[in-house]
Amino acid sequence: MFAGVNILSQSSFGLNGYWGLSPSFNTPLYGYESNSSNYSHVRDWGLSFIYGAEFAQKTNSNIYSISLSKTLSEHNLSARFTPGYQKEFIFNTGEAIIVEDSTSQSLTANFNYKELFGLGYSYKFSEQFSTGVTFRFFTQDFAQEIVSPVFGDTLFLIRETQNEKINYWKGDLGINYIVNEYLNFSLASINLLNFGEKAENSDFAKFEIKKEINAMLGISVIPIDEAVINFIYETTNSYQVSLNGYLSDFGFGLTLFHDEYQSPTIAGMIPTISYKGEIFELFVSGVKYFSNRKKNFGVTEFIENGINNIVNNRYSFDKLLLTVSFNINTVKERAVKMIDVEIVKDIYPTFSENYIDYPFAYGTVVNLTDEYVTVKPMARIEGVNEENIQSPISYIAPHDTVRVPFYVIIPESYSSEKVELSYADFYLFTNSDQPDDQFQKAVLLNSINSWDGRVSNLRYFIKKDLDLSMNHAKAVLSDNKSVLDTLPIALENFYKAKILFNEYVSNLVYVSDPRATGEYVQFPNQTLELRGGDCDDLSVGYSSLLESVGIQTALVDYKGNGKVRHVNLLFNTRLSPNQAKLITNNDTKYFVRESIDGKDEIWLSIEATSLTDFETAWKLGAEKFNKEAISELGIAKGIVNIIDIY
Amino acid sequence: MKRLVIYLMFTGILSAQTFTVEKVSGDVKYQNGSSENWLSLNSGSTIEDDAIISTGDNSSVVLGGSNVRFNLNESSAISVSSIKKMNTDELLLALAMEDMMNAPKEIKNSSSNTAVYGTKEGESNTLQIKTDDFGIKRLNGAVQLAKNGFQESAVVTAKETYRKYPDTKNLPSYRIYFANILNDKGLYEEALDEYVDIQKLKLTDEERAEVNEKTESIKMKLLSE
Repeated sequence: MFAGVNILSQSSFGLNGYWGLSPSFNTPLYGYESNSSNYSHVRDWGLSFIYGAEFAQKTNSNIYSISLSKTLSEHNLSARFTPGYQKEFIFNTGEAIIVEDSTSQSLTANFNYKELFGLGYSYKFSEQFSTGVTFRFFTQDFAQEIVSPVFGDTLFLIRETQNEKINYWKGDLGINYIVNEYLNFSLASINLLNFGEKAENSDFAKFEIKKEINAMLGISVIPIDEAVINFIYETTNSYQVSLNGYLSDFGFGLTLFHDEYQSPTIAGMIPTISYKGEIFELFVSGVKYFSNRKKNFGVTEFIENGINNIVNNRYSFDKLLLTVSFNINTVKERAVKMIDVEIVKDIYPTFSENYIDYPFAYGTVVNLTDEYVTVKPMARIEGVNEENIQSPISYIAPHDTVRVPFYVIIPESYSSEKVELSYADFYLFTNSDQPDDQFQKAVLLNSINSWDGRVSNLRYFIKKDLDLSMNHAKAVLSDNKSVLDTLPIALENFYKAKILFNEYVSNLVYVSDPRATGEYVQFPNQTLELRGGDCDDLSVGYSSLLESVGIQTALVDYKGNGKVRHVNLLFNTRLSPNQAKLITNNDTKYFVRESIDGKDEIWLSIEATSLTDFETAWKLGAEKFNKEAISELGIAKGIVNIIDIY
Repeated sequence: MKRLVIYLMFTGILSAQTFTVEKVSGDVKYQNGSSENWLSLNSGSTIEDDAIISTGDNSSVVLGGSNVRFNLNESSAISVSSIKKMNTDELLLALAMEDMMNAPKEIKNSSSNTAVYGTKEGESNTLQIKTDDFGIKRLNGAVQLAKNGFQESAVVTAKETYRKYPDTKNLPSYRIYFANILNDKGLYEEALDEYVDIQKLKLTDEERAEVNEKTESIKMKLLSE
C-alpha cells in the first residue's frame, strides 16, 4: 500500500529546550532525549510533571510526562511515564465502498505512534565523569480498513479492520565529562540498542519507526557564572543552540533548533522561563515553529517525508508547556565540598603526641552556600583508628575556599612493626549525621620503630615505655643505695647519672646502625634486650633511664655540616655554677643553661657511644660540645641543635 | 633574629691553632682538654688549642703561633682556643648563642622525679662551695685578650666567665671594661643592656658617672637612628 516512509524514533529535541548539563536546575535533565546518560543533580528523590497544550485544529491538552528519580550515593535511577509522547495519523486508503443507500464510504487507515515509558541508570565515577544508560519503550498501533468478499448464496463485501500492535525497546548510552566549572561535554548514542517485535503485516512494516544508529555531542560553555551557552549536534545533521541565563532564583532559556527533516533551516525555537524554590522548580516553555503547520496533508507527502520524532516533526504543532519538578530530599543538600586532600605527614606511630599538635593532612574545602558554614572535619586511618577522629571546627565564609586541618590520634596500643600502605578517610560534617562530603587518600603507615631522621622526634622514643626504663633504673640505683645515701643531695643527679651510665654500658656494644638505615630507632628496652645499638639508640636509651628518675636531658644533634651526623646528650646536674667545683676542676667540662625558672644550672655533655665508663663519656662529650657547639659557633649557626626532652 | 640570619651569611670559619710556649716566668700551669689535673708549663713545649693556661702571682707566659704572639700576665687564665680573631658578626653570633643554650621557656610537662633514694627530702640543695679566684683569673685573661687585639674573643670569654663564675658579674670594673668594648664596636644595643645591668651594682661615683654617661649617649644614638 505505502512504501519508503522515513519514520525515525527520538532525537535530542526536548520540550524544555536544551540546557546542557544544567548546573543550576534539575528539570531539564528529566528529558532522556538530550540526556541519554541519565545525568542528574538530584540528591535524593526527584519528581517531575510536564503538562502541555498543542495548538492543532483544536487545542489538545495532555500530561506529557511524569518522571521519578532517585539517587543512591553515586548511583541514580529514574523512570518516566510519557502519555503525551504520541502522534496519530489517519489516512484515506484510497478505496471506498458503496453502502446500501448508495452512499460511498472511504476506507481509512489509522497509525498511532507512542513512547510509553522509559528507565534510566547512571553512575558518577567522580565529580567530573559520569556515564549512564536509558531504555525507552515504544508502541505502534496500526489499523486499516479493508473490504473482504464473502462468498455465500450471494457474493457480498464486508468492511473489516486489520490491526497490529508492535512494541519495541530502544537503549542508548551516554557519557558526561565536566572539564571544569566553565566547560563540559556530553556524548551519547541515538538508537544504539533496539529490540522488540516486528510487523507481520507487510503493509504495516513499511510504517514502522526506523532505528538508524546515530550519535550526538553536546558542549556547554559557561563564560560567566550567570550564563551558559549550549550546543548539541546529531550525526543526522540536526543541531540545537541555546543560551541560558540565571538571575537569583530565576532562569531563562532560548533554544533554536535546526531539524534536518524540517524547514526552514532554523525550524523553531523553545523559549523558557524558570523559577527555582526550596524544593521545587517551575518551568514555562513554548515550542514555536517557523513554518506553517499543516493540519491536513496527503498520504503521498507522508510517504515522502515521514517523521523523525514523535513530539517534534513537520506535523507537530506549537505547544505551551508547564513543568513542575520537586526535589524531595531526605538527604540534606551538602553545604561544603572537599576538592582535594594533601597528606603533609607520613604516619610515624611513635610520634603520637606530634599528631595531636600538628595536622597530618589538609583538605581544600569549598563552602557551596550563600551563608557562613561551620564544618566539623573528621578523619580515620584504616588499621589505626576504629572511629573517626574529630579535628577542630572550621568556619567558612560563603563560597570561600579554605584549607581545613585534619588531625589523627594514634592509640597507645598500636604496635605494628611493619611498614604498610594504608588509606585515610576524610569527612566533612555540617549540621547532620551524614557527611556533606568525603575523600579517601593513601597514607604511609610506618612501623613503631620508624624514625623520620629528625632528632627532635627521638624524644618520642625516649618517652615510650618510660615505666620500663624506670623499673630498670630503680633496680640499678637500689643496688647503689649505700653510695647514694652518703652523698649531699646537690650531687644526687650527678651520681645517679654516673651509676646508671656505668651500669648501662657495661653490657652494651656500639653497632654502627644495626639496620643499615637511619630510619630505625630502638626503644630503650629493646636496646637493653639487644645489648647494643647505634648512637641514636644508645642516646635514646640513656636519656630514657635519666628521665625516668627525674633527671632532665637534652639530645644534641650534630648535623655534621656535610659529614656524618651524630647524636649524644646533655643532662642537668641541677648544680649551680658555684657548685661546679664539686664535680670538676676543669671549667670547660660543664655548660651553664638557664632553667625555666631563671636559675643557671650545670649541664654535662655525655657521649653515649663511649661504652667505657662515665668519666670517658663525659670527657668525650664535653670536648665535642666545646669544639663544635661552642668554639665553632655550631649552635648559633644551626649546625648543632639542643633538643630538650620534656 | 632577622639580624642574626643576616650575620650567619657573613660568618667565616674560626681557625684553631697550636701554640709554642716561648717564655715562661714563675708559676704557669695548664690543663689539657678535659683533664682534671694541672701540669707545669715549660718553655719550648707546644700546647693544643683545647688547653687552659693559668698563671700565678708574679708569673707570665709568652705564646707564639702563626702570626700571633700572646703575652699572658700574672693571675690570669685563658683557654688557648680563645686566642683567635673574630669579626663583629661572629661576636654577635656568640652573644646570641648564650640565649640559645638555655632551656626552652615553655615546657609542656617538666620531668618529675619519680624516684627518691635515701631520706634527704628535707636537705637543702644549696651546698656552699668556697669560691676561689679562678673566675677573676679568667676575666684577667679576657682583658689581656682584648689588649692583644682580640677584643671580640675577649667579650665572649668574659660573658662565659660571668655565667660559670657568677660572683665575677658583680665586679664593676671588669663589667665596664667589656661593656666599653661593645660600645666601641658600635654594638649599642648589646652595650646598653650591659650598662643598664651594671647600674644595678654597687659603683663608685666615678664608675656611676661613666656608666650613666655611656647609657645616655647610647640612648641618644639609638633614638637618632
